[in-house]
Amino acid sequence: MDLSVIDWSDIWQATWETLVMTGVSLLFTVLLGLPLGILLFVTARRQLLEQRALYVVLSFVVNVLRSVPFLILLIVMIPVTVILIGTSLGVEGAIPPLVVGTAPFFARLVENVLREVDRGVIEACQAMGIRTSRIIFGALLPEALPGLIAAVTVTAITLMSYAAMSGVIGGGGLGDLAIRFGYQRFQTEVMVITVVLLVVLVQFIQYAGDRLVLYFTRK
Amino acid sequence: MIRIENLHKTYRAADGREVQALADIDLEIAGGEVFGIIGRSGAGKSTLIRTLNLLERPSSGRVLIDGEDITRLDREALYALRRRIGMIFQHFNLLNAKTVAQNIDWPLKATGHGNAVERAARVAELLELVGLAEHGHKYPAQLSGGQKQRVGIARALANRPRLLLCDEATSALDPETTQSILRLLLDINRQLGLTIVLITHEMQVIRTICDRVAVIDGGRIVESGKVADVFLHPQHAVTRSMVAQSDALAAASLDPAHAYMSDKLRGTLVRLTYLGDVTYQPILSRIMAGARVQVTILQGEVSSIKDVPFGQLLLELEGGEEAIRAVFAELDRHRIHHEVLQ
Repeated sequence: MDLSVIDWSDIWQATWETLVMTGVSLLFTVLLGLPLGILLFVTARRQLLEQRALYVVLSFVVNVLRSVPFLILLIVMIPVTVILIGTSLGVEGAIPPLVVGTAPFFARLVENVLREVDRGVIEACQAMGIRTSRIIFGALLPEALPGLIAAVTVTAITLMSYAAMSGVIGGGGLGDLAIRFGYQRFQTEVMVITVVLLVVLVQFIQYAGDRLVLYFTRK
Repeated sequence: MIRIENLHKTYRAADGREVQALADIDLEIAGGEVFGIIGRSGAGKSTLIRTLNLLERPSSGRVLIDGEDITRLDREALYALRRRIGMIFQHFNLLNAKTVAQNIDWPLKATGHGNAVERAARVAELLELVGLAEHGHKYPAQLSGGQKQRVGIARALANRPRLLLCDEATSALDPETTQSILRLLLDINRQLGLTIVLITHEMQVIRTICDRVAVIDGGRIVESGKVADVFLHPQHAVTRSMVAQSDALAAASLDPAHAYMSDKLRGTLVRLTYLGDVTYQPILSRIMAGARVQVTILQGEVSSIKDVPFGQLLLELEGGEEAIRAVFAELDRHRIHHEVLQ
């Protein structure tokens, strides 16, 4: 393996782009997915704000979005992305499909995490005469915080691998580099380096997430 | 203070069948008393106590608290009602992410009760009351079961309720801790004049702190009254078996033939039951001194129900029919209840 053929400035540029894609999409995924997950949880059967019809509709939409393979979603989303931000290429072009692809996934994780919160604790809050919205934001979410951080960690890693995949449609970042140089120009070295960098990044995210979970765990 | 009228509750089970959880419940609980509801698991006692703050909505019937039918309250009024009722739970149900002090503060903060300074003073006062003054900064996971329940009690009292509901509050605790929690509840009942309604499956709990008790079985109240009456003279089979579990004497005397091999008994088997001051007077000795009757104490217990001393003795009396009748007359004169078992 001859590392001298590698243009390191390209590599660092691509690493930065991957981080930006992951970070920005993560932000929007959480902004959309967290409320959606909370809504799924509270409207479910025998929960705080049981709403059968709403739950069924939300759950169906989430399932549909989650059942579309990400590669297909990337392509299907191209016209939508163009309308939203003017281009479907580069770092910006990758973000809408990333968010649409992972927000439903994250919402389901949130729903599951919230279900793990002891029912008795919520019931105790109801017995105190506390309003439902206050219970959700003052008790439910703080109790679920470690689980929510773990869900964000899993989602960040999923986003990073999806971001690499968006290289297929010219999305920028390490995936794009791997496809253009590593695959199409047969530069194995570039392929190896990008994979190594992705491994390092994923390990770091998981480590940071685990530390945060530990920090906020009171059990 | 509380009146339950003709309360029914039916559930629709997962398989679509209707399950009757509570039926024909009529109950009256006076202000300031400690009222116990005892029953086996699945008897409906948990459902019953939860109708008192509408965590469980009855299918029909009325629940009156201070004369107001709470089943008709709108949402805002229900919030207000619940703020006037404290509740503690078998598994404590504390917020793990909050410290002890924050847990106690939570109902005050979340219901917009006072400013931060007032609330901090109230929290300190409550920590003192339940004997956890030094533990305010800890998280629930760092506490023992008994301490967690003390936090639960402090939290339930934060909004100065007049009624405290205890849902199997000592069932997850060891006997010693149970006693200390019961003592705390009794102190609170006396100091603050708080009405306490508790459910339990342990007769010991009823015996230690309750004034009156209702026995529930199969969703119906089968017996109720003063604890001493129900405990010493249980009428219903369920009550008898529950009394028996807490008390070897009662267990044996339920079925004397079985317990004592009746063929070995020569005389008359009698159970004496007495309550109050008479417990500490040498009445039995006086009666027997003048009687031509031989007495053998087979088994007995002298203890107390809440603060009232009582005794229950299983005696074998040997002597002439006339002599024994004379003894019974003397017992009646001293208001000692006697029951010939064989």
